[in-house]
Amino acid sequence: MADLGPTWQAQLAQALIAARIEIAVWVPDKRLAPIADALAGGGLRMRTLTREEECVGYAAGFRAAGGFPLVMFQSSGLGNSLNALGSLAVPYGLGFPLVISMRGTLGEENPSQVPLGRTTARMLELLGIQALNVRDPEDISAVVAGAVALARGARQVAAITLDGQLGKS
Amino acid sequence: MNATEAVRAVLNAEPNALFVASLGTATSALRAASEDGPHLYMGGSMGSALAAALGVAEKRPDRPVVAIVGDGELLMGAGSLWSLAGIRPRNLLVVVLTDGFYTITGGQPLGVPPIFADVAKALGIDAGIAQSGAEIGERARALARPALLEIRYDDRVWPGPSPFVDPSVVRWRFEARVSGDLSPDGRTASSSEGSG
Repeated sequence: MADLGPTWQAQLAQALIAARIEIAVWVPDKRLAPIADALAGGGLRMRTLTREEECVGYAAGFRAAGGFPLVMFQSSGLGNSLNALGSLAVPYGLGFPLVISMRGTLGEENPSQVPLGRTTARMLELLGIQALNVRDPEDISAVVAGAVALARGARQVAAITLDGQLGKS
Repeated sequence: MNATEAVRAVLNAEPNALFVASLGTATSALRAASEDGPHLYMGGSMGSALAAALGVAEKRPDRPVVAIVGDGELLMGAGSLWSLAGIRPRNLLVVVLTDGFYTITGGQPLGVPPIFADVAKALGIDAGIAQSGAEIGERARALARPALLEIRYDDRVWPGPSPFVDPSVVRWRFEARVSGDLSPDGRTASSSEGSG
């Protein structure tokens, strides 16, 4: 079948740029890489950091200084970031959109990815962070706009979880 | 020299900077030395203070930014030294309060070599060591940003103010400081600094 339009990753990047994100900090992931490329192609500043917790700390500082950052990492990295979310971003009201590439669920073949993947939504919920799932590319613009409003206006960390159904790459 | 005296010397060298302080000694000492100025104090998130300072520095490249971090804190987020070396913000000074102990948890030894300045230099970051107020002032002014200043002190008296800050108050005061509504002492409007 012919390629009739932008990939879901390109759509997501376009929605984030349209929402006036100022910078994206991330830890690389195969499914996030095309999003990062599209963000960079759209002129957004990108920072690849050493650990997911560091991304949350960086974003909290950037937000406290008056900016509006984006964080992206894989679900397996959520465990690395819990303390920074729970004792900095959440209690200080330093909200930002957090794009999480889901592993460990639909189609996962690596046993080591499963425990953190299947508990990602519940871990976020226990911290008071809403997980807004994207399963269908048609939902991207509405979910991104809603998550950005939640992060910018209501000062919440707003997680956008990228469902396995979107594809493995 | 104690931690409060060390931080007071940094404040004197960088009176208009935006300050980020890690939890524990760094936050208590900055609260004491600045009379509770409008700084970004961390009540938790150990290991994330340098990362937060990188975010502040990149959002406000027009303003000097100082991270005051404990030695145990920096070990827990040591990867951020590599990020500092990669990003190289031209406005960020990292001050490491080095006494060799985890003070906030009761004074357990770190058990690692105190070579923060050497590590920073190996990463291509301008760095130095200071052991007195005069050395702090001299090196804080002379080091090219991004820079790391390892302050070694041996009087481990607790600074005093609680490190258990109110997050919403800290955030509001820091945002007002960034936007220029609060001066460094947190008391008066300051329209000249925050307009950039």
